[in-house]
Formats: sequence, structure tokens, C-alpha cells
Amino acid sequence: MVYRRIAVFGGVYSNYRALAATIEDARRHQAEALFCLGDLGGFGPCPDRVYPLLREAGVQVMRGNYDVSLADGLTDCGCGYTDPRDNYYAALSYEYTFRHTSEENKHWLRTLPDVLRVQVGSYRLHMCHGSPRQVNEFLWESTTPDGFLSKLCGDYEADVLLCTHTGIKWHRRLPDDRHAVNVGVIGRPENDGETHVWYTLLTAAPDLQVAFIPVYYDYEALARDMRQEQLPEAFVETIRSGWWTTCLEVLPGKERACGRW
Amino acid sequence: MQTIPQAPFHNLHALWFQLTGTLCNLACSHCFISCSPTNHALKFVAPETVYRYLDEAETHGVREVYFTGGEPFLHKQIIPILARSLQAAATSVLTNGTLITPTVADELAALATTSRYSLEMRISLDDVDEARNDAVRGKGALRRALRALRLLQERGLPPIVAVTEYFYEAPETTPQEPGSGSGFYQKFRDFLLENGIEKPRLKVIPVFAMGKLHPSETGAAYVTPGMMHGFDVTTLQCTKSRIVADGGVYACPLLVGEPEARLSENSLSEAMQPCSLYHTACHTCYVTGMTCSNY
Repeated sequence: MVYRRIAVFGGVYSNYRALAATIEDARRHQAEALFCLGDLGGFGPCPDRVYPLLREAGVQVMRGNYDVSLADGLTDCGCGYTDPRDNYYAALSYEYTFRHTSEENKHWLRTLPDVLRVQVGSYRLHMCHGSPRQVNEFLWESTTPDGFLSKLCGDYEADVLLCTHTGIKWHRRLPDDRHAVNVGVIGRPENDGETHVWYTLLTAAPDLQVAFIPVYYDYEALARDMRQEQLPEAFVETIRSGWWTTCLEVLPGKERACGRW
Repeated sequence: MQTIPQAPFHNLHALWFQLTGTLCNLACSHCFISCSPTNHALKFVAPETVYRYLDEAETHGVREVYFTGGEPFLHKQIIPILARSLQAAATSVLTNGTLITPTVADELAALATTSRYSLEMRISLDDVDEARNDAVRGKGALRRALRALRLLQERGLPPIVAVTEYFYEAPETTPQEPGSGSGFYQKFRDFLLENGIEKPRLKVIPVFAMGKLHPSETGAAYVTPGMMHGFDVTTLQCTKSRIVADGGVYACPLLVGEPEARLSENSLSEAMQPCSLYHTACHTCYVTGMTCSNY
């Protein structure tokens, strides 16, 4: 399938309010198709609420590490934390999400692909969750070198690599008109003190244009949902302040320096 | 005689340099290669050698570069070497921190600010108690490491504190409610916060029974062929990293200078081949899931 313009997002993290706003905004921007790079659950409230939204909007969804864990009934989210504080929050979030995700939705996760390949204009896109070679590999902007990305483009026969997983967006132009894009996440703000979230529009004009689109949604309503579900106040604080409070150990120095904690 | 298991080589995620050989300004009592101010067993790596291997590593899509020693800040060309490395990839230095003066910290901050990739300073400590720490690392080591931590933080470089399990056997990583109890991580986090390090980052490393802690041969444990069945071999760092040191390219930062671990005299490409899990250190990595990279 060849598209002219698509919308891509990752990391829904049960934020059904941001998901609804993203779908609406992508349509307003005349995206011909919507893609989700995985991690539907975790962090936010009422995980089953995202599934009907994704299905009704015809979003093409692939699995992230969280989805693999839920589908296969694994004991944790697969993020690989070592710090007991991070593991405390990760376990709490995973247990809540596992308990509140229906069997029907877990079954649906099992049917999803681990990779999506499409074409935008003349560009061959390879979509993955973490990296093309490992579902939970973190591709941060400050630890992902050009040489590595060029090699992946060659190895996976792609002009554009798309990933998510870290929670912070970036775009890198590579030699030979190749690109790597971390599309960011719509489940929580990206640790910059702002409360909105981000998705990505890719347009063949005919040269590739990559645009990060902010999504403003009712985050106070989400915070109320989270409190009602008795999710940790540290998570609520992130939604309301735009600063990450947990699972910070995996952040490289540059990204960590930009945050508050 | 039992066959020695092999670890396949998957990809070059990390390239290490044992930049200053076995020379260190400290002489820690648990050092795995017995580094000291007088140990010249393994020599420095020349800047030209570093640059040549970095060029080669880039063609293999290397993701991270690490500099260790000895004490890397004993190398007079450390700053230009780091500048070149940061052109290729995110770069980390494993250091005791005692040689990081305000001038050095300024130079590091300038490098970090102008680089697209992260520059990480990983500073080693053994305990939050000065007497206990310095009993291992030498008098004044804790105070000087703390000075480095502060200097780096003041310049916008949040340092990583690396702690061995020398005093703390297998610290818990199971979920623990924040602020509860006196866990290993909490203890170091509290210590760093009390000392003005606002974004505490910890890296915990097991102690390897080698170098100054070499066990008797009868007590040593090894990886056996049977242990490889069903084992996720990618958890072993030697499937995705190599180290350049005096004498060539080795399979593992712990085994520099060991003939059995040397995979090439002068070629990274040649060294990207399976390696032998022959050493007791291999057993420690197997059992602990040890990763020597930052994350």
C-alpha cells in the first residue's frame, strides 16, 4: 500500500483521552491511515477503553513489549529495570493493567504483528516498537548514532525507520535521503514540563516531511480517572506536571539532564 | 576433558577501550585486574589506535563506546580522544573521579554540550561510609569522588555512581516501595541527595573473584555445556561487545591481557567471532546477568 500522508503514534499507556484526541486530530490533518507502534496499556487508567477506539478508527496496530507481556501472560512489562523503586512502580502498573485487560483484548494482542511495513510516496517505511532488532531496545536520541541507524536501514531494507518505546520523539536525517524517527508517545508527556503529548505525521511531498504534532487533551480529567482507579500519585503528578517521576534509570545523561527529577 | 562452551557474536553494540592499561592512581583492594600506580603490565592505548578502531566500529554500526582502565584520566590525551569518540557514538568513562578537577570538569562539560550524543561519567564508590569506602579505595577517595560528582552536576552532567557488591551482597531489585526501609539503592540515593546530587543514578556491579580476589582453583566455578541449554545467550555481554587493550582486541573488559580471550591482534572485524566461556568471570556473568554497559 502506498500512502501520501500517514499518522503514526506509540505508547498509548491506557490514555484513552489522548488517543481519542489524536485520532480526531490526525483526521483533521487528512492522514490517510493511522498506525500505532504498540504499548497500549500501562501507566494510565481503565486499559480496555483504548481497544474500541483503535478498532473503530481502523488504526493499524503492532505489538510493543507491554503488549507481548500481556498477551503471553508474562510476569512483568519487560522493560528490564533494576532499581527496586522503578520496579515497584512498574510492577504496580503492570498488575493493574493485566487485571483490567479483558481476555478478549489479550487475545486480540496475540493476533497483532511485531513489525509493519508500508510505503509513503517513494519511501519504504519499517515500523517497529523499540528497534528493528529488539522489541525493548531503547532508541534515545543521544544514544543512537547515525552509523548505527544507517546500518539498520540497510539491514532491514528501509528508507525510513519508525520506532517509539522511549517516550521522547526525535527525527534524524541520514545520508542518501534516509530517515529515522522516534514518533514519541501519546500516553504521557515527554518530560519537558508540558502537559500535551505528541504524534507524528509523515507526508510525501514528494520529499519526505516529518512533522511532530502536539495533542492537547483533558489531562485533568485523566488525572481524576487515575485517582479514582487508585493509581500511584507519582503517575498522576507526571500527567499534571509534564515531568517524569518514575522509571528514570534508563534515561541517558542528556535526556536525564533535561528533566526535573 | 569437557568441551568449553562458546558464545556467538551477534552485533557490535558496544566498543570498549582499556585506555590506560593497568595503571591507576588508586589501588583498590578488590580490583579485578590488580590496577595500581605501579602496575604497568598492560600499557596505554595510543590515540591513533583508538581512532582507527573507532573508524572500524562505525562501519559495524556501533551504538556505544566505553573508556576504562586503570584510571582513564591518567591519559594525557583523554579530552581529544573523547571528542573523537563522541563524533561516533554515546561515550562513557569509567573512572574513580579523583582526577576530575574543575578544569577537567569544564572541558568535559564543553564536550558534552557540543555533542549530539551523551557523554557519561561513571564514578566508582564502594560505600557511603567514608571509612569503609576508603578502606577499599584509599584514603580520601570518597571525598574526592564526591567533589567530582558535584563538579559534574554543577555543569549539567548528571553522573552515574557505580557500586560494587563488595559490601552489599546481591542487593535486592525486587519491587520496593519508595522510601521504605534501608535498601541498598535507597541508601545510596539518600546519600547522594544529602550531598547535593539531585538526580541520583546508580549502576550496581557484582564483584568478580579475580585479580586481587582470585579464588582458589578448587572453589572456582565455570560455565558447562549443559548450562547452555535453554539459556538466553544474548544476556552475555560478549555477544555484543569487544574491548581494545594493549595487545589487541579481547572478548570481555574483565579478561584483557588474557591470551585465551584475545580474538585479534589488530582487527575489530576479525575479533567479531565466537568466544570461549572459559573463565570463572564467565560464570559470574552467566549467573548474575551482569551487564557492564550503563543500562
